[in-house]
Amino acid sequence: MAEVAVWDTLQGFTPQLILIAFALILPGLDYLLKKDKRPLAWFALVPLVAIAAFIVTKLFFSSEPLSMQVGSLLTLDTFSGLFMLVFISVGIVVVLASPEFIRRDRNHGEYYALVLLALTGMTVVAESNDLIALFVGLETAGISSFALSGFRKSENRSAEAATKYFIIGGFSSALTLFAISLIYGVAGTTNIADIGLILQDPAATLEGSRSVVLLAVVLFIAGLGFKIALVPFHMWAPDVYEGSPTPISGLLAAASKKMGFAALFKIFLIAVIVTKTDWQVAIAALAIISMTVGNLIAISQTNIKRMLAYSSIAQAGYILIALPVGTQYALEGGLFHILTHAFMKSGAFMVVAAMGAVAVGEKLEDFKGLSKRSPFLSFSMAIFLLSLAGIPPLAGFSSKFVLFSSAVYASADGPTWLVWLAIAGVLNSALSLYYYARVIKYMYMDPGPTDRISVPPMIGISIALALIMVITIGLYPQAVIDLCETAAAGAFPILPAGLP
Amino acid sequence: MFEGIPMITIILLMPIIGSILTFSLGRRESWAKWFALSFSLAALVLSVVVALQFMVNPTSQATGYHDGRGFFNYQFYEEHVWIKALGINYIVGLDGISLPLFVLTTLLCTLSVVFSWDTKVRAKEYFGLMLVLEVGVLGVFVSLDYFLFYVFWEIVLIPMYFMIGIWGGPKKDYAAIKFFIYTHVASLAMLISIMAMFFQAGAHSFSMERIALDGSIDSNLFTGGFQIAIFAALLFGFGVKIPIVPFHTWLPDAHVEAPTAGSVLLAGLLLKMGGYGLIRIAIPTLPQGAASLQILMAVIAIVSILYGAVLSLAQKDLKKMVAYSSISHMGFVLLGFATFTELGIVAGVFQMFAHGLVTAVLFMMCGVMQHKCGTRMIPSLGGLSRKMPRASTLMTIGFLASLGLPGLVSFAAEFMVLASMFQVWALWLWLPILSVVITAGYYLWALQRTMFGPLTDQIDTTKIHDVSWYEGVPVSILIFLIAIFGVFPLVMFQFINPAAHIVVGLLGGG
Repeated sequence: MAEVAVWDTLQGFTPQLILIAFALILPGLDYLLKKDKRPLAWFALVPLVAIAAFIVTKLFFSSEPLSMQVGSLLTLDTFSGLFMLVFISVGIVVVLASPEFIRRDRNHGEYYALVLLALTGMTVVAESNDLIALFVGLETAGISSFALSGFRKSENRSAEAATKYFIIGGFSSALTLFAISLIYGVAGTTNIADIGLILQDPAATLEGSRSVVLLAVVLFIAGLGFKIALVPFHMWAPDVYEGSPTPISGLLAAASKKMGFAALFKIFLIAVIVTKTDWQVAIAALAIISMTVGNLIAISQTNIKRMLAYSSIAQAGYILIALPVGTQYALEGGLFHILTHAFMKSGAFMVVAAMGAVAVGEKLEDFKGLSKRSPFLSFSMAIFLLSLAGIPPLAGFSSKFVLFSSAVYASADGPTWLVWLAIAGVLNSALSLYYYARVIKYMYMDPGPTDRISVPPMIGISIALALIMVITIGLYPQAVIDLCETAAAGAFPILPAGLP
Repeated sequence: MFEGIPMITIILLMPIIGSILTFSLGRRESWAKWFALSFSLAALVLSVVVALQFMVNPTSQATGYHDGRGFFNYQFYEEHVWIKALGINYIVGLDGISLPLFVLTTLLCTLSVVFSWDTKVRAKEYFGLMLVLEVGVLGVFVSLDYFLFYVFWEIVLIPMYFMIGIWGGPKKDYAAIKFFIYTHVASLAMLISIMAMFFQAGAHSFSMERIALDGSIDSNLFTGGFQIAIFAALLFGFGVKIPIVPFHTWLPDAHVEAPTAGSVLLAGLLLKMGGYGLIRIAIPTLPQGAASLQILMAVIAIVSILYGAVLSLAQKDLKKMVAYSSISHMGFVLLGFATFTELGIVAGVFQMFAHGLVTAVLFMMCGVMQHKCGTRMIPSLGGLSRKMPRASTLMTIGFLASLGLPGLVSFAAEFMVLASMFQVWALWLWLPILSVVITAGYYLWALQRTMFGPLTDQIDTTKIHDVSWYEGVPVSILIFLIAIFGVFPLVMFQFINPAAHIVVGLLGGG
């Protein structure tokens, strides 16, 4: 009987167990392979595809909502399932694109193992019900990512990126941990839902510790702000994205960042929701500053990876709109944009990776005349960039539509200044169009080298996957919107609905 | 006759399939124009069939939609659920306001394909993009759901951006990005307004009619202040496309740099999207807002009419002159709408149709000049009627049509706009009439300096050829239609009148 109980407890943890098992086998497998290291990528894809299949079945084709408990620490529900889907999809795209990108490097086994471990950490964060579990997840993902960004250790840029990322990451973890300890000191528990209840309890006289809670809130904003590269905690992101191997930049921008949002949503909308009036304006201001600064600096970039990094900073600002608006509908938009951003941003990075794999380069100038050299790469890049700019009928438009409209509606119901979030969002979308369109102009309108590029097949498949998702979600967002709605309503039942 | 056949969807599918096939031609670039021609022609033929059905029965209404509360007489109505969670549906339909523009779109796209027959530079992409543009514009004129409308509205920008940026003139980079961002900002103002209307009307549906019904017709959820704010935002959003002074500066740049077919579609169709948006969305949905800003609309219209005309007078580039004249002529559309009379609205819609035909001729003739003489600068031309008699005949007719010669289509339209203004603001009628004099001035003066007078010695006139067949045929077809609708404008009014009557009814008049 005892065994059954253990299995029941661990059921929701199965995806992570599988990931860890494969991650442990991979370095050993590396020794068995002589020359061709590509089977390692196939091997790493096995758990990812299996989990993706499992989660898609549970989310889209199951009659009852997903709900699996792992003790009181973790829950695999629709909300965390959605995040898991995002992380695993990005993982698949990244692993597919990797073998041809790193074929001249050593230690392939460790590379894929670290990718799987990073994904494990991220999924733990999404599933966590408890601040300690959340912190362990953040650290697991963080430490794997530091090592991955320094994967090309003989390359100065890569080593610099890893060092920078490590120092900043360590610092932000310390801030987060400090905030957790402050909250624990006030509430006496690390369970997120319990913290929320205790802080809201009118019977508990927490007035004296109000300032401690606010200090914790500030520390959370800073600590997690580093993770999601929010202005003014964004300085590391362009350097790290530029220096890391390109598929890893994709992993950081499309998945690792989303982990920060999972943590933010849980902490701000459940644990410290009672202080909403205190942080609402501050976070709204950070969102607007982040999108504006990100877009403005992106305009002057000459390196495509840096440009995409700044565009990620801006996109983080858009997603952050969900917090100050704070309705289920806004969160639905936030989740939706997290999902679509994962596909368009990882797709864009994989196009850069494809160009890197055939030694074309990462400067914006290298995109000149690309439409002649590789119609597939230039078309995919154009679609990803237009989607990032929010041009219909692509996925990025649908998700921005839900996100921005939530702010418009909330302004009719709550504080009117919330509408400025939507206005800042659309103005920034127009601003961002300038630098996205410039890449498209380089690819399609400017003359460049004329020798053809042959896209490595596996990177081609990974780009095609992202492309199909961006177009399909754009044309038929119904299924994903429903899912985000269930996720938001299930994980944050106390928030107002936000849609009459 | 067409019950159960989704005619509009079929017509929309023509250019969609055509563009996919054209893009996937691989190296057989020379087939592109044939693909583009067959699919745009198929759309044209089907749209004429639709128009003939309207002639048989101009006012029948699709029954039972919006619980029988639908107020426009849409035919060929189709409704399918698209994104249920947000109340977004695929709704398309045609009525007397959209039909003329719908047919104009399929016509101009087909003729532009013919006119571009000798395009050899990246022909596959050129014709493919032209078909994408046709999808977008057709979609705008048939969409009855805000989300769908916005999707098509934005789709239009991308092919036009590429057309200017790839096949454009010397300053194409600047013109392309300016066009893209300028019009995109306007679209976003529209997007925010759409969201606000959706929520204010109870957040049930993005259907245009449903929102108008819930917001202002059956109830007054759209309060006075809300109506004024949203109408102003929409006036900006649509006004940039029309374009209205002072948001017109993207237009001369875009036109001068765009390839000829691009200019034809830009002036012939894209500008109409702005006017259409006003009369289909802004005015019926927000009648109080429109009423409050009526004088503002009239003032902007008259300023655009006069300012566009005066600027045309000063141009040395033929194409730029025609571009500025578009601002002036589109001002008449806004003026017609601003009168809020049935005559004015009919005239405004008819002026959009007329301007589409006439301006296409003018831009095509500018393209011919550029092509044959190597320049469009008026001072470098002169006496060309001796070298290219057919071209100068076509150009003269085009100019005369545009300056409002009686018997041609623009006269009917502009006369009606002025007549409707006489009903409302008779004392101020002299202002727009002033532009008629200026317009005649710049066209005749330009004609005199380019076609007549002594033969120019600034360009090599020995090798100038007359118009080619693929240039002459589309222009001649357009001129034929200009004359037909000039003499029998009533053909068009039987469609437009009932729809305009409904709009005036919503405005509280009629």
